[in-house]
Amino acid sequence: MRWDPNIKITLRRVTKVFEEKGVTALQDVSLDIRKDKFTTIVGPSGCGKSTLLHLLAGFDRPSNGEIRLDGQMIEKPGPDRGFVFQDYALFPWKTVLGNITFGLTINGVAKSRAQEIAMEYIRLVNLEGFEHAYPHTLSGGMKQRVAIARALAYNPEVLLMDEPFGALDAQTRKYMQGELIRIWERFKKTVVFVTHSVIEAIYLSDVVVVLSARPGTVKGIIEVDIPRPRNYTGQEYLDVRKRVLGILEEEVQKEISMDRA
Amino acid sequence: MTLSTLRTRTAETLLPFLVGGILWEGGCRFFDVSPQILPPPSLIAAQAVELWAKGALRQHILASLFRLLLGYVLAVTAGIILGALIALKSDIRRMSSLTLSLLISIPTITWVPVLLITMGLGDRTVITAVFLGGLFEMIYSTALGVENVNRRIVDAARIMGAKRTDLFFRVMLPASLSFVIPALRLCIGYCWRALIGAEILSAMIRWGLGKMIFEARFWNDVTVMFIGLLSIGLLAVLFDRVFLRRLERITIEKWGIAARIDA
Repeated sequence: MRWDPNIKITLRRVTKVFEEKGVTALQDVSLDIRKDKFTTIVGPSGCGKSTLLHLLAGFDRPSNGEIRLDGQMIEKPGPDRGFVFQDYALFPWKTVLGNITFGLTINGVAKSRAQEIAMEYIRLVNLEGFEHAYPHTLSGGMKQRVAIARALAYNPEVLLMDEPFGALDAQTRKYMQGELIRIWERFKKTVVFVTHSVIEAIYLSDVVVVLSARPGTVKGIIEVDIPRPRNYTGQEYLDVRKRVLGILEEEVQKEISMDRA
Repeated sequence: MTLSTLRTRTAETLLPFLVGGILWEGGCRFFDVSPQILPPPSLIAAQAVELWAKGALRQHILASLFRLLLGYVLAVTAGIILGALIALKSDIRRMSSLTLSLLISIPTITWVPVLLITMGLGDRTVITAVFLGGLFEMIYSTALGVENVNRRIVDAARIMGAKRTDLFFRVMLPASLSFVIPALRLCIGYCWRALIGAEILSAMIRWGLGKMIFEARFWNDVTVMFIGLLSIGLLAVLFDRVFLRRLERITIEKWGIAARIDA
């Protein structure tokens, strides 16, 4: 099979069963994720969207099916991918600078060069002056900017983001969405972003993938062809939102009836 | 902290000693207690100065510190290695869990009679006792620390490309310091207890604070006993404040990962 150069990641009939809990998180998920596009995965809580992202990261292996990145099977974590966690997962014993240089020095970049690169990314995420601060002294939004800089500094092919703004207050969240788009337009990499917020998904992405309630399957794929910067009130935006919510509505209903059963 | 609050705090710390000392001294004089039964602090201080001038006190202290630090360093090193292995290798954990539970409940001092026969009556026995006294605390705390490392921090390092050795030394170990460094402070306390007990029981050693205290019994010299007790206390506090407490401040407290218990 020839690899389509416009496709970055493919999932073929990916199933993930957590044996010990007896839960099928994902069922036969097949999906192509396009190169250099911003793809968001939304779905009701517990639909396996984070599980899917963990499979892409290689933190976990699928029970069945295969996942390929540029045609290569994903089997373990590696620096061709960057990951941003909801709870930041910064190294508390390292400064902002130390956190960002880690991914560089671990891959053999000389320390002085690593620091130069890290400073570029610190400027990119607007954290100049905080390079020697320790993470616990920073606010949530600042920590997440460090985490984004850390995940980008070693120049991965794909950026995976697991509800990165979920722990932030509404105001900071909105600001960070704008920041992320600004940063992304600079480096233009493939991004896979997981969220349960439809508003956030449409604001950010080129493609919105809607997953169904457990077990997660692909319920719909919606292209979002609205020029950036987007606003939350334009007619196009509201139209797309209606479509996504329409698909989700069914799933939420299903989930609620499942909970009642 | 301003100078005046610093002054207040120092005063608060020292006040109990001052009050205790005055009550002790005053009580001894007022009730005319025989110094053979309870010497007043003034007498203890005078005797301590004399004992130091003769060089004997220093000899005792140096002998004890040597055994303590050697045993402590060995216990910390072995404890961290074994603790990490137990946390990381499930087969080692399964094999060692019963043995460890068994060993940890045996008071260190009860090892000494055995060691006296297997390792002789000298320094080796005392150092081994100190080692055993501190070892289990380090094993347990390190294992707990490594097991409690945030899974996501490890995942973050893995996806950036960290593998085995780097993952351990650059991620797991620093991340587990919130358990390991407080354990260093507890561990040396256990080492002190083992040291003094073993010194008392070891017949062939001449010097050491435990020896000094125990031998004072033959002369009914309570003053020397008190000098020994206070030396142990002072040395322990000094080591803690100058070294371990400072280490804690420049690591886990600076990083905001310390679970604070005391000051």
